[in-house]
Amino acid sequence: MKFTLNWLQNYIDIQSLSPDALAEHLTMLGLEVDAVYPLYQDLAALKTGLVVSAERHPDADKLTVCQVRIGEELHQIVCGAPNVRQNLAVVVALPGTILPGNFKISKSKIRGVESCGMICSERELGLSNEHDGIMELPEGTEHGQSFIKAMALDDIFVEVDLTPNRPDCASVIGIAREIAGVVRKPLTLPVQNAVINTTSNDFSVEVVASELCPRYTARLIKNVIIGPSPWWLKKCLINVGLRPINNIVDITNFVMLEYGQPLHAFDFDTLAGGRIVVRTPAADEMSFATLDDAGRQLDADMLMICDGEKPIAVAGVMGGLNSEVTAATVNILLESACFQPVSIRKTARKLNMATDASYRFERGVDPDGTINALNRAVDLMCSIAGGQAADDGIDCYPGKKELAPIALSVARTTALLGIELAAIQIKDLLESIGITCHLQDAVLLSVTPPSFRVDIEREADLVEEVARLYGYNHIPATLPEVKLSYPEQDSDRLRRLAIAERLTAIGYTEAINYSFMSDKHAEMMNIPAGDERFDAVRLLNPLSEEQSVMRTMLLPGLLDNVRRNINHQKTAVKMFEIGKVFTPVGVNVQPREMTMFSGVLCGNRHGESSPLHYKQEPVDIFDAKGSVEFIIREMEIGRIGEDESVHFVVPEKEGGEPFAENGYFLDILFGKVKIGSLGKVKTEVLRRFSIKHDVYYFDLLYDSICQQDTLSKHFASLPVYPAVKRDIALVVTEQVSAGELLTKVRNSGDKLIESCEIFDVFQGAKIPEGYKSVALTITYRSPTKTLTEKNVEKSHSKIVRLLTDEFGGIFRNA
Amino acid sequence: MEQELQSLETEARESLQGLSDKNLLEDFRIRFLGRKGKFSTIMRQLGTVSAEDRPRVGQLANSIKADIEKLFEERQQALDATAGRSNSQAGPDLTLPGRYPAAGRLHPVTQVMRETCAIFENLGFSVAEGPDIELDYYNFEALNIPAHHPARDMHDTFYISDSVLLRTHTSPMQARIMEVQQPPLRVIAPGKVYRCDSDITHTPMFHQVEGFLVDKNVSFADLKGVLTVFTQKMFKKDLPLRFRPSFFPFTEPSAEVDIACVMCEGAGCRVCKKTGWLEILGSGMIDPEVFKMVGYDPAVYSGFAFGLGIERIAMLKYGIDDIRLFYENDQRFLSQF
Repeated sequence: MKFTLNWLQNYIDIQSLSPDALAEHLTMLGLEVDAVYPLYQDLAALKTGLVVSAERHPDADKLTVCQVRIGEELHQIVCGAPNVRQNLAVVVALPGTILPGNFKISKSKIRGVESCGMICSERELGLSNEHDGIMELPEGTEHGQSFIKAMALDDIFVEVDLTPNRPDCASVIGIAREIAGVVRKPLTLPVQNAVINTTSNDFSVEVVASELCPRYTARLIKNVIIGPSPWWLKKCLINVGLRPINNIVDITNFVMLEYGQPLHAFDFDTLAGGRIVVRTPAADEMSFATLDDAGRQLDADMLMICDGEKPIAVAGVMGGLNSEVTAATVNILLESACFQPVSIRKTARKLNMATDASYRFERGVDPDGTINALNRAVDLMCSIAGGQAADDGIDCYPGKKELAPIALSVARTTALLGIELAAIQIKDLLESIGITCHLQDAVLLSVTPPSFRVDIEREADLVEEVARLYGYNHIPATLPEVKLSYPEQDSDRLRRLAIAERLTAIGYTEAINYSFMSDKHAEMMNIPAGDERFDAVRLLNPLSEEQSVMRTMLLPGLLDNVRRNINHQKTAVKMFEIGKVFTPVGVNVQPREMTMFSGVLCGNRHGESSPLHYKQEPVDIFDAKGSVEFIIREMEIGRIGEDESVHFVVPEKEGGEPFAENGYFLDILFGKVKIGSLGKVKTEVLRRFSIKHDVYYFDLLYDSICQQDTLSKHFASLPVYPAVKRDIALVVTEQVSAGELLTKVRNSGDKLIESCEIFDVFQGAKIPEGYKSVALTITYRSPTKTLTEKNVEKSHSKIVRLLTDEFGGIFRNA
Repeated sequence: MEQELQSLETEARESLQGLSDKNLLEDFRIRFLGRKGKFSTIMRQLGTVSAEDRPRVGQLANSIKADIEKLFEERQQALDATAGRSNSQAGPDLTLPGRYPAAGRLHPVTQVMRETCAIFENLGFSVAEGPDIELDYYNFEALNIPAHHPARDMHDTFYISDSVLLRTHTSPMQARIMEVQQPPLRVIAPGKVYRCDSDITHTPMFHQVEGFLVDKNVSFADLKGVLTVFTQKMFKKDLPLRFRPSFFPFTEPSAEVDIACVMCEGAGCRVCKKTGWLEILGSGMIDPEVFKMVGYDPAVYSGFAFGLGIERIAMLKYGIDDIRLFYENDQRFLSQF
């Protein structure tokens, strides 16, 4: 809602408030002020002038050489406007002035005649689109004055951001009512408590769809002269950003802004049968041309204003082209009505139209206020446009409701707000903005909200009014008194936080990507149709192609992040994300939401660590595998190994993820259930993401990690006797995996073996082609005695034999 | 024996010369002066020397040992002095950086989210999360926003179907939790929310924390108290708060909360658009209609609710001027927090 302080001053005396103080009061009343500033500061340098002579330019037919008096000075100005003439009061921009649009005026010669400035049109001043001639100031305007002062344009503009519950404040009078509660002064209204005789028979009104139109009032104004509005009226509209059109349309707009009641003026002579019928359209009336010359397709349940034959306006939204007020209009039928909010909202939505009228009707206009606004507009049309109106009019009020009082308990009010207030104080607060109160007794009030406060229906609404008027900032801040209880926390969430924290310790940075992805992403990742990740939940109204579906995996987002970082010269990337993915399960059903935990690795293993101490070397698949092992160990969610809960499995040929490189891929299993995978992203996939570097990944179903209980901890006695370590080096064929060797040792059954580890794998130099050397360390210990050389030798030689027999290995003495 | 002693003396003097390292000096001490060192070994042979020679040889041995010990100490002192005088000449270049593996960072949204949750957890609130994709019922209807209510204009909603949408706020958790739990309740619900809007101050996805407290005799003053604690802890400053009347269909009275601008502390600057205030959250007393829909008796229970935007708080806390940076995952950005 936009208004100016001079306009507001017409209804309430605000002289005692500075503009900033007024804005502060409005904001603290819940009418948030978005802007408050003096208008036309860019026109401050302009002066009024008087054209003392106007002669034709010696060398150009359409130019006039004017002598313009500005106070003591006389300026010669060449002007091209057809309406410039002697004794005209005009607006002058002298050399050095900058007009709106950064247009600088300077002294110049026009066809050999010196011109010292410019006489301005309304468009050049940014006041309107009028550019047929220069702006004519009222006769008698004193020259040499500041233009904005002379034309009373020195006003303060205020814009309020209204909440949807306050349609009553979509009017200058509505704002005045609120301020009246602050300054505690009476309102001065041009028309109030108006009534009309309803005996008019020059026209008739029939409300057929009465549930959609609680009230329809109208009056007839005859013999109007259509023309431009007087300056004061134009100025009011221009100041709040509306374009003046003609006196009749300007009056309807002005009164709408003044009273908050949208009005519509019909050219009465276009109405068939002099009738108004408020109804929904018939089957053959579904096409309609609105004022903006647009063809509209109607729905059967849209409320239309019709004449005796056809629709002439979309009720509460916009008038029709067929009954528009034109320069030739003589008689006006003026409508002031109240429509059902939901109906107007549906219609405006369907037609994709949002007008000043629909804004107000959707939120609710005062059903008792229609006649005040109607009579105010009729008065103006008579005084400004020379119209004649009978006192009569028509008032159809099928939806009349008696205002019902609401019981307001003092105890509930004070308890809910946490303040002490007496009934009399509450009464005083509410009555300051026109809400009628009766004290039932000391603890109960009977409150009747005025009809324009359509938002007040319940006791809770009144409590808010009391709080608002009392001032939220006068309510103390206390802490609630509550019974102590232990707040149970979601263990999934806590575990997520712990994982994130541990990953940062090993160099990973957390990413958060949008939950959307491109519908091309699945294909880019080689995901085949039929895969659960191929079909995504689709948005009906996406912002862009790139964000058109809900993501089914985290990796595309992370790969986008890798590219962005590489492009910004950050080639070492270790990033992870823990977030939801979405799988459709049916129409009108919430999709399945699963939390994934994924990471990507690229470039230097040690990232930002000092290259002085950490060798620059690229990450490989063991970094990815190690990260997963680290998290599983750190989070104590499982033990890793063949016989343990977590396994890494090399998949069968052609198995594995479609986006992972063959031979660089492991499935991760929890028991027998696959919970994810890790590996190297295929080059062809990376190319689609414009990444030239190698990228490794891990991708885990976080939800299945969460289903695992944390391992319980049991103390094991510290060993009493020393351990003995023995190394074995075996030369085996390349096909033998290290894992097999370890498993063999661990499963040997020898009770003296405490642990076994691989410490070196070597190929080259002294090792024959197709073979590799694997070195293991075996730790022997007995719980009951110190092992002798002989004890160890006996076990160790058995292990060596076991391995060489099984794998055909050559035992190497290192 | 005497000869052996003398050659030992020569050897020791020569060895000691030019010893410039503490470790080598210690090796020397062990080799010559230690319990199993060369002197001790020779001295153990003193028993084999004839009785008349023994005092003389013994004396000689002692004086040689004393000389060497003296030389050793001098050398040691000299070395200590050198070490003290110039680290850089003898030792490593200590201006080089230390050795530690570089750690990663948590996303700033996660950091502020955790901090926010921790403040409320410490006040005894429990934490609950809900679905990102919501039913129209929980996102709107249960919160007193029926179809065709103008308040729906305040939410630019992404739809999946007529009745399924991306939640536009975390407030649906109020209804979800109240449906299955009885008061007293103290809950916060953090999570992602979605609005179809994208510019320098809006991203189509962002994070909110919803909080609510329901009990007997909960007042608006209590809401002010709890939110005052929150802002003071979050911004580590006693910043003034301002409660402004506003409108949310699911609270009555409703309030928007401003804090004194964290940049200019209320003086007025570009960040607060010269107002001195920054809007940080919406709140209010839970509307009786919301209680009725979950079967609570509004005559018995009252409560407050609030919803705050995590990115907004992070932007104010760290002076970030473009919300889109949060979702670009640029390490140059992430590593700053």
